[in-house]
Amino acid sequence: MAEVIGSILILLGALFHFSAGLGMLRMPDAYTRMQAGTKASTLGNTLILAGLAFYHPGWTLKLIILIYFVLMTNPVSSHVLARAAYRIRIPMARETTVDALRDARKPWRGSA
Amino acid sequence: MIRRASITVAVILFGLVFASLAANHVGHQSLPPLAKRYVELVPQDLGAPNVITGILLTYRAFDTLGEVAVLFMVAAGVGLVLKTRKRRSKKSPETQPRQASEIVQTGAQILVPLIAIFAAYIIMNGHLSAGGGFQGGAVIASSVLLLLLADPQQRLDLDFLSSTESIAGVLFVLVGVAGLILADGFLDNRVLPLGEFGAFFSAGAIPLLSVLLGVKVGCELSVIIDRFRA
Repeated sequence: MAEVIGSILILLGALFHFSAGLGMLRMPDAYTRMQAGTKASTLGNTLILAGLAFYHPGWTLKLIILIYFVLMTNPVSSHVLARAAYRIRIPMARETTVDALRDARKPWRGSA
Repeated sequence: MIRRASITVAVILFGLVFASLAANHVGHQSLPPLAKRYVELVPQDLGAPNVITGILLTYRAFDTLGEVAVLFMVAAGVGLVLKTRKRRSKKSPETQPRQASEIVQTGAQILVPLIAIFAAYIIMNGHLSAGGGFQGGAVIASSVLLLLLADPQQRLDLDFLSSTESIAGVLFVLVGVAGLILADGFLDNRVLPLGEFGAFFSAGAIPLLSVLLGVKVGCELSVIIDRFRA
């Protein structure tokens, strides 16, 4: 029974990873691609590691630490990448309507 | 259309290449004689379950010492090359590093201790499972890199780092000399009792050498990282 649950979780995780890959191919600009890649792969990793915990109950603690690590690092690194892309003025998709960072930047525009 | 078709053809050709590789693959049925001898000898002779670390820190420890020396020379060379460039860029105020965002700073505060603990784990379990001094030292340096990314203004205490590194190197050689006197040869790990096989404190001097190597590599790589910033 535990193996079936674990397999289903790993399959779900693989599905999310697939959608991440699909997003990388199909999204129009760097920012949306990054968003697709990060969000889907974070959830995909979490699900796969959780599924592994069902297969090997002895590894559970280490896997929880790994999940915590992925949850901590993935968003931070993609945030930094997106910010760097914004700084070197990589163009956004034409459909973009809101640029929250530009509005927030106004007070310290002089230094940028 | 032609582009898409050529991509498809290329993917199929790659698939065929790898398919033939996978189909013709025959796994090793038995170990080659030299590997077999090492696999038998290391747990028996040195008391280390991890054969690779056992080989690296005893039979080929002299080689490891040479590798660390090469790393030291790399650090010195990087410092020599980048020092002249540093002075030039200091004049322009535009190269002043930008402040990292709040998310990065908070993330670094949480992650740096976690990474440091992981590095200590890798170093201390070198003789039991995958890992060892080199890998752990690289992980330490990655935590230093994260620290510098979160706060680019931060100054590393380079004197402390280089003296720690030197002390670790000297102790490494001293353990080797102790092996020359107390056991069978330079860097023999049987200067300390082998202990119970698979226990945390076991395999003679291998954990000690691992720690020294980890400290040395971590300090060296941290110095290299510090040299690379503008």
